[in-house]
Amino acid sequence: MKASNKFQVYIPWMILVAIVIFLPVIISSSYMISIMAFVALYGVLAIGMGILMGQAGLFSLVQPTWFGFGAYIAGILAARGLVPPGIGIIVSAVFVALIAYIIGAPILRLRGLYLACATFGILIIAQISFVQLGELTGGHSGLLGIPPLTIGGFVFKSDLHYYFLSWALCICCLMFCSNVINSRVGRAIRASHDSETASSSLGVNIPKYRLQIFILTSVMASLAGSVFCFYLRFAAPSIFGFHLLVELMLMAVIGGVGNVWGPLLGSFIITWLQEILRAYLGHFFPVMTGEVTAVFFGVFIILVLIYMPRGLVGWVEQIFRLGRRIYEHIKSSVAQ
Amino acid sequence: MNTSKVPLHNSKHHNIGLGRNSSLLDVDRVSKRFGGIQALNDVTFSIEQGSIISMIGPNGAGKSTFINVVTGIYAPDIGQVCFQGQDITRLPAHAIAYLGIGRTFQLEELFPSLTVLENAMVGCHTRSRCGMFSSGLRLPSAKTEEQRIREEAMENLTMIGLEHKASDSISSLPLGERKLVGIARALGIQPKFLMLDEPAGGLAAHEIEKLVKVIDILVNKGLTLFIVEHNMPFVMSVSQRVIVLDGGQKIVEGTPHEVKANERVIKAYLGEEV
Repeated sequence: MKASNKFQVYIPWMILVAIVIFLPVIISSSYMISIMAFVALYGVLAIGMGILMGQAGLFSLVQPTWFGFGAYIAGILAARGLVPPGIGIIVSAVFVALIAYIIGAPILRLRGLYLACATFGILIIAQISFVQLGELTGGHSGLLGIPPLTIGGFVFKSDLHYYFLSWALCICCLMFCSNVINSRVGRAIRASHDSETASSSLGVNIPKYRLQIFILTSVMASLAGSVFCFYLRFAAPSIFGFHLLVELMLMAVIGGVGNVWGPLLGSFIITWLQEILRAYLGHFFPVMTGEVTAVFFGVFIILVLIYMPRGLVGWVEQIFRLGRRIYEHIKSSVAQ
Repeated sequence: MNTSKVPLHNSKHHNIGLGRNSSLLDVDRVSKRFGGIQALNDVTFSIEQGSIISMIGPNGAGKSTFINVVTGIYAPDIGQVCFQGQDITRLPAHAIAYLGIGRTFQLEELFPSLTVLENAMVGCHTRSRCGMFSSGLRLPSAKTEEQRIREEAMENLTMIGLEHKASDSISSLPLGERKLVGIARALGIQPKFLMLDEPAGGLAAHEIEKLVKVIDILVNKGLTLFIVEHNMPFVMSVSQRVIVLDGGQKIVEGTPHEVKANERVIKAYLGEEV
């Protein structure tokens, strides 16, 4: 029983790794490979969002900002040739962790919507700063001249290279988060979401763990941002704003925040839906594709919230549980 | 009572106290006011190591507030709370848990998004130390610690007789079992002093029987217990001393017998029947 349980835990991971490895064999279109790379990068952001909202109960809306910091810092350092691109990724992650610590320490004392308001303010401020620091960031026209990522002499240049890099990052983040959530720290965080009084009476230092999880998700977003900027060889303020935030929320909610896998599934669905809508809606609504897409997503999220309030993964879990109960019922009645 | 059985796991602190006539908890002239309500008014008493104290009083007498003050949820306006001779009046709740004061809640306050076992495992938080990195990377130290916590939590569940429901969700348990899970969770910190807030509240007779058995086990372990309760037969049967609170003030303190006979108590709380 125990051995098979241990083995079962690895099955989803093996399936995910197998899909990632064999997908490029099946599909050769570099467009699809590139979209799948974005699925992984947005997935990293959405996983962080899911943990903050679902497990820790923190409505932090600054995920796109950390993504932007990761992209800009790594991009600027590489474009100016200050440090090798590989080191730049680490430098930006450390810097983002530091900023997240400085911002998070006071701001995480806010609750619920107040936290959402404050973090939303930071999102807007950061986006304005990206525009206004024109000499450094290239302002509205964006950051240009980013060289391709080079690690130890290997140059990442094709879509496939970035596809594998993005998915490696995504799987590492997913694994790390899944381990954390099922550990002492994760239990403390989930417990303090349920009852602050009870968890602190058991010795949980709530501000400490909230800050830790806030920094963890910011570093993940920063790493994804750095890979993103080397892939696009470009970064612009408009990427890291409200629009991305809404997309991330959609991913997290549609996939389901109760499970770390949910937001990744959400990222897959939303990213592809967007591509499909962009490709086909143009035929029917040539003038206002964007507006129709927004309406479509609005209706989509309402339907999901009504019929699967715990997201797709939560819904699947529910079906599995129901199936198991029926199976056990049949088994026991047969035994009788 | 054999007090030497009390586990002294916080070696940092155990040599500080225990001096003053073996009293474990000293409450000195504690007052707490919420707006216009004087929830606690000049409450003073001390609790000896290994004893079982109950606190009774009508609704709104300040019993739960008292537990919240001792466990650091509220800071008192005036007064001092000492645990093993150490002033804990202004310590945050989580630091007080590390000193070995455990508690349960009137409304259970369990963690519904965690399983029964996970609830008990959160209880072991103070006696484990793995941080985010070691648990995120599943280092060997994190794995062994996780295994140890799991076993200890399981032992605590076995003690309350719910080991077969370890992987169930909290919402599937009846009230009596939820109250017991609250106790198992609090036992995770290996408390020297355990405060139970209405453990028998709303329980059926057979559930109370189970509860009394669990309390017997705790007493045999040498644990010092503080029980807030409305159920009179229960209070009178388990406690060695009873403190009566009314309007935030301590009106009587004595053995169950003395308290039963006291006129002020009868007037304040018990009615004319007893």
